[in-house]
Amino acid sequence: MDYALQQLLNALAFGAEYSLVALGLAVVFSIMGLVNFAHGEIIGVSAYSVFLAAALGLTSPIVAVLLAVAAAALAAVTFERVAFRPVRYAPTTTGLLTAFGVSIVVQNLFMLLISPKPQSVSILNGLNQMWFFGPFAVSSLQVMELVVSGLTILALVLFLSRSTLGLAIRAASRDFATVRLMGIRANRVIATAFAISGALAGIAAVFILARRGSVSPDLGFGLVLKAFVACVLGGFGSLAGAAAGGMLLGFIEVGLLVALPQEYGGFKDALTYVIIVALLVYRPEGLLGQRVELGDKEI
Amino acid sequence: MSESAVAARPSDAVTPAGNGKFRRSLFGGLVTALPVVLIGLAILGFAPAYYMHLALAAFVNLIIVVGLQIFMGNSNIANLGHSAFVGVGAYGVAVLSTPLAMKKLSIPNAPFGLAFVELNPLAAAVLALLVVAVLAAISGKIISRLSGVAATIVSLALLIIVHSVFLNWTDLFKGNQAFFGIPKVINLPAMLVASVAVIVIARLFKDSRWGLQLRASAQSPQAAAAFGIDAKRLRLVAWVLSALICGLAGVLFAYFAGTISPKLFYFQQIFITLAMLILGGMATVTGAVTGVIVLSIGLEFIRSIESGVTIAGVQLPQLLGLSGVALGVVIVLCMAFRPGGISGRLELDEQLSRLFRRDAR
Repeated sequence: MDYALQQLLNALAFGAEYSLVALGLAVVFSIMGLVNFAHGEIIGVSAYSVFLAAALGLTSPIVAVLLAVAAAALAAVTFERVAFRPVRYAPTTTGLLTAFGVSIVVQNLFMLLISPKPQSVSILNGLNQMWFFGPFAVSSLQVMELVVSGLTILALVLFLSRSTLGLAIRAASRDFATVRLMGIRANRVIATAFAISGALAGIAAVFILARRGSVSPDLGFGLVLKAFVACVLGGFGSLAGAAAGGMLLGFIEVGLLVALPQEYGGFKDALTYVIIVALLVYRPEGLLGQRVELGDKEI
Repeated sequence: MSESAVAARPSDAVTPAGNGKFRRSLFGGLVTALPVVLIGLAILGFAPAYYMHLALAAFVNLIIVVGLQIFMGNSNIANLGHSAFVGVGAYGVAVLSTPLAMKKLSIPNAPFGLAFVELNPLAAAVLALLVVAVLAAISGKIISRLSGVAATIVSLALLIIVHSVFLNWTDLFKGNQAFFGIPKVINLPAMLVASVAVIVIARLFKDSRWGLQLRASAQSPQAAAAFGIDAKRLRLVAWVLSALICGLAGVLFAYFAGTISPKLFYFQQIFITLAMLILGGMATVTGAVTGVIVLSIGLEFIRSIESGVTIAGVQLPQLLGLSGVALGVVIVLCMAFRPGGISGRLELDEQLSRLFRRDAR
């Protein structure tokens, strides 16, 4: 029973992390149709700023957490301003390839300016402890991941449903042209969406740093690939779909970890993707996606 | 749209499989391949042996990029998983054609009795391409049903699945270690012939009924559907053809290098070939060829700086990652300022005929 509970917590924690990252992708995609491959590098910028701050003598974990979130939001807004604004009204493929290019540039800049090798960051290790609840021992990091992700998603939902800017963002995902006709500034809506997306990535970065205790140039890349898959699984562009897809991905992964014998553990990633692709055979539009009528998102 | 293309349309409608049209695109393909042939002959004639290896690698990239163009250029869906097929082609011939004595050293426990199979290189290549075709048909069936973005993500998932199988099925693929002892049967002339053939095939497909319909459905899905075009089936056809050519590139790579490892067919290769296609312009086969020529030369310069050079007596440090930055910058700048790439919408022969027409005037 203890083992089952532990694995359930594992799945929830993994799922929460994927959901956070997938939500960041979905917020941006739903508004401007950008498939942001550079999202992983936003996580990277966040992690490397904590690394640099620690190297310069920062010791307070709370400041490090704030710094991670702020750096990620700033990085996201900067990427938008520098690279994505010129291709804002271009076809989806153009934006996707631009983002892919940005991702390559930033990853290689980490390599060039800091080091291709992983660098140790120990400032957030304190978050990763064992907590004892009676007979149960749980990892504090996993509990925090679950709680913080839940609160973040709640805050995001409140923001999107209660504030004017949130309303504008939701409206923009339906029909950007009309939103602009209502006197809302396009740049502000998009910058806000990127800031939200970045902040979500920053929170994910904190958890990654606390778990791994090191940074490397491809830190966020693999995670974002998985988050993309979660988005596709949930239905691309749907926020609820992204969150649900992330959770489901967490459960599939942990399920495979439990089910696969030790010597086949390396096939976990391959099997995860096979399962997801198989799910897409039955629902090409994703689990919560709507069947898009031909030409719906065309301008 | 070009004048010549507009002028060509009405006659196409009368004779869809017109002989003249076929001859024109065959000729066009050969014109596009001409610079490649010239460069190849120049390398054969004058270049020192050290450059031969670089040239062969560049030709493999050329075949990959042309294969990529067949799917991306016509369907306008980004494919980020084509290296999976390159890898399957390469490992296919590696497993099938490596001499038995070598296999006893490298993969003695191969399943299905593959440790005791040694085919001649041609038969191995055909079988490997058959495997690529089956994999492409299955993955294409799924990908052609998805919308553009989801298709791209699934193509990435395919890359990761295939890479992960190479890494973890150690009995068959040797995992992370290099797979060596593949017979080296490909030299530059053979590679040249393959490149020209692939360029012509890509051009014929682009100008064919299927290519035209696929490009039309990429531009306006509704209008194409209203004309009764089955975009899904066409995407599947383009996907399989593209995969076969990428698989062929893998086969040729294995046969000239003799040694392969999984990391060769992963993101690094995706980055490079994608940047080449985008820089050249993915709408045309000429663009694919142009991009490969320009970036192959450019990257070689950057790599020499990357490994640390001495400029005016100052020893520069090693700059790992510089070529990656350059590739990314090329992609970003191209997308922002010239999304059509260097060659734009016209093939080389179309550009030339325009040029001469203007001169005559």
